[in-house]
Amino acid sequence: MQNCPAIVAVGRTKFGEHYGKEPEKLIEEAWLAASQSCGLERKDLEACYMSDCFLPITNKLGLEEGFLSELTELHVPMEVTRSVSAALLTACHAIRAGVYSTVLVGGIEKMTDRWDKIRDDLMLLEDPWSYYAGCTPESNHELMLRAYTKKYGITGENLEKLNIALAQVAVKNHANATKNEYAQFQRKITLEQVLSARKAARKSLGLYDFAPISDGASALILTSSEKARKLTDKPVQICGVTSATDYLNYPAREDLTRFLATKIAMEKATEMAKVKLSDIEILQLYDQSTFAEMVSLEDLGFCEQGTAWRSIYDSCQDYKGYYEVNGRKLFTNLNGGLKADGNPLGATGGAQLFEIFKQLRGEAGNRQAITDKEPRFGCSLEFEGFGTKSYVSILGRN
Amino acid sequence: MSSEPIERRVSYLGDRLKASKCQICGKEYFEIRDYCSNCGRKSYMRMSSVDLFNDKGKLELCTLVTEPTNKFTKLDSFVYGIVSFHGGKIRVPGRLTDQIIKPDQEVDLSALEGREVIPRFRRRYTVNKSDVVPTISLAFSLADEYYPHQEYLVSEQNKEYKLPGIVGYGVYTSRFRIKEGGIERAVPFTDEDSITAAVEAGKTALIHAGIDSANVGKVYVGSESNPYAVKPIASKVAQVLKLGEEDGDVQGVDAVDTEFACKAATSMLKDAAALVSYPGSGIRNAMVIGADNSQAAPRGCPGGELDLFVGYGGAAFVLGKHDVIAEIEGWYSVTSDTPDFWRRDGEPYPMHGGRFTGDPAYFKHVRKSVTKLMEKMNLKPHDVNYFVPHQPNPAFPVKVAKELGFRDEQYTCSLQVNKFGNTYSGCSPVGLAAVLDLAQPDEQILLASYGSGAGSDAYLLRTTSQLLDKRKRQKISVKSLTENPFAQFVDYTTYRRLKQGM
Repeated sequence: MQNCPAIVAVGRTKFGEHYGKEPEKLIEEAWLAASQSCGLERKDLEACYMSDCFLPITNKLGLEEGFLSELTELHVPMEVTRSVSAALLTACHAIRAGVYSTVLVGGIEKMTDRWDKIRDDLMLLEDPWSYYAGCTPESNHELMLRAYTKKYGITGENLEKLNIALAQVAVKNHANATKNEYAQFQRKITLEQVLSARKAARKSLGLYDFAPISDGASALILTSSEKARKLTDKPVQICGVTSATDYLNYPAREDLTRFLATKIAMEKATEMAKVKLSDIEILQLYDQSTFAEMVSLEDLGFCEQGTAWRSIYDSCQDYKGYYEVNGRKLFTNLNGGLKADGNPLGATGGAQLFEIFKQLRGEAGNRQAITDKEPRFGCSLEFEGFGTKSYVSILGRN
Repeated sequence: MSSEPIERRVSYLGDRLKASKCQICGKEYFEIRDYCSNCGRKSYMRMSSVDLFNDKGKLELCTLVTEPTNKFTKLDSFVYGIVSFHGGKIRVPGRLTDQIIKPDQEVDLSALEGREVIPRFRRRYTVNKSDVVPTISLAFSLADEYYPHQEYLVSEQNKEYKLPGIVGYGVYTSRFRIKEGGIERAVPFTDEDSITAAVEAGKTALIHAGIDSANVGKVYVGSESNPYAVKPIASKVAQVLKLGEEDGDVQGVDAVDTEFACKAATSMLKDAAALVSYPGSGIRNAMVIGADNSQAAPRGCPGGELDLFVGYGGAAFVLGKHDVIAEIEGWYSVTSDTPDFWRRDGEPYPMHGGRFTGDPAYFKHVRKSVTKLMEKMNLKPHDVNYFVPHQPNPAFPVKVAKELGFRDEQYTCSLQVNKFGNTYSGCSPVGLAAVLDLAQPDEQILLASYGSGAGSDAYLLRTTSQLLDKRKRQKISVKSLTENPFAQFVDYTTYRRLKQGM
């Protein structure tokens, strides 16, 4: 493929609270890690695509490009998006068009600096009208879960299994994160903890069902295929990257039981990448909640609608490190997902791509997926808002 | 919200829940749209506007919010969900209001889903004391509980009466009560205030009158608990109730707040009557509202004695010359500068003159206005069917009625202070509404308000045959509110917390 973009290096910070660090220190750390690993100098960069979801709100920083320019002493074109996937999408277009051959893609977020107001900020960004009516960032997940169980008539014993399956998503993600030195929560949790948190909240989803707020940064270096071969033996191609959009206002959406934008984006991405679903083994889902991880398996097409909870439940009875779906292994959120790795919005997508990059190159250390053959394709799903934007990136090694 | 233009746009759309409908494909939107996104350009100018303010929705899905976002923390836990209208054509986010959820209470969400709900005009969330008070109707209450759904049907106005009078009225108080010392008093829910009560009473009055809200040429809102020192409640009432001719986002109506302690509303009944009678005014109907979230300092503090009697609620009257239910036959007002009760600017709670609030304040003025009116109309106490005195506490109205020579059966039914508490500007208007609820045609009602500061307005009204015809339209009456099985009693701590509001 002509000018097919490839990732040659990745870097990230630990996610969590970085009380003493300014936002730009974080991106510096991520960028340095990436550049060192491929021996690239900053003067080699032709452009930068940065993302942050709401740094202007949390840190009263506008025009983040200027900070990046100071940091890198570069005067090249720089653009800011709201998510790493969005930055990647734009960067890929530029490389495919032959405009640039080496660009930096990165993301940064500093949410804990405004921890006391962050849920209001998140909710207002997600959808002002829902916010005005009293919605919280958690409520929409709970509503969609209720819509889901109603639609598929999941009651009684099945509902109990579904609830346990969702709890196991959190348990699994926390277990995965114990092997991830960058993760926010490197500790295991138990099924009982998840369930009792729900009980304390008097709700179907509790504290352990939701991703935390985090600080962090991530960076990757994207080049044309030709350039990539000069920089590394093992480039990871961006085979397909695309996005789809849905209403800001969740109640007004056509389907309340799933994320339609994910379905549309995935169809376009697989078509673009010319891969079959069965070729994808490494999966990074956007688990804002355990329910979101579950329903995304359906939205992406891996599971039939209304069945993902069964696959999760069965896989987690004797968890072997992957979800078994229709006889195939899906290694899902090996880095701990948003739940345990952390979710600094503007940087999260970079951590997802970081993980797929490492897994496809067989460099993930003790959390490396134990696949029958070398894994060829990985897929990451990233949201902006509550599924208002859905980005799907399919990465592969040829 | 710190931005005034954003606040204006949100409340313009959200207070009334303005929606649009494509006349080509029938798709509906919660917002004002110039064209339909399904039909594109060809639908331009073919969108009809609807609003959901007088509609009824269905709670489709819901969840419990136990940790609200910052601006909602004063509500504690509440139910949030998705409400659909018109069989699911429109879906909006909403929260259930008028529900106190205790910290350990399990909420059966399935039992709530599928229930019918009514949009309620309420405060939206907490803001800084210096900010604009944000409102919205994305708060809902269950249709089969305290507040029933009433359809707003406009009927043709036929008969013109010789004298102007009341064409319709509405009364409102909240679901919550406190019972102390043998009297029940209404307690506003956290998201209620004098603005929301004024709108509620006005809404019910329009429904009862059956007039087109566009016919209302002037609205007077009397209150002494306006959350603003400067900014009228009446403008909100006019906009939310669409009073006067609608022209874009401006209403062709005069709206004004009045203030004279508890007689701020009753004082304006004669002005409204005069206005609709004056041929040059071109005004067919006028509306007078008295509503208060009566203020009182906590017990033990100076002025805290009032805390035993303050209530919440109000009443609204539509005046006109057509299809009148009670003609205004005469009035007499008295005024003297008597400082028996006051609240200085910037002070949260009023002060009062202790025993002087009885005599020379309340008793002197009420006696005077009533005596003078009876003299003027050549009446004796036994000539009228009902006497409605201002009722700041249970004792005063009884004492003044007896002194003036009225018998128990003439005034007892008007006494609502035992059920509402003292609703200040809404006080004697609520008493009048209680009498109109049960009066028969061709009966005479003598109303005497009192406002500290001080003055009293006495009115003589005569009911017409239309009183009975219009009564059928009313689901919300004084009786339905005071004897409501869904009214909920709260303890003193909860009462003070609810009263603090958002």
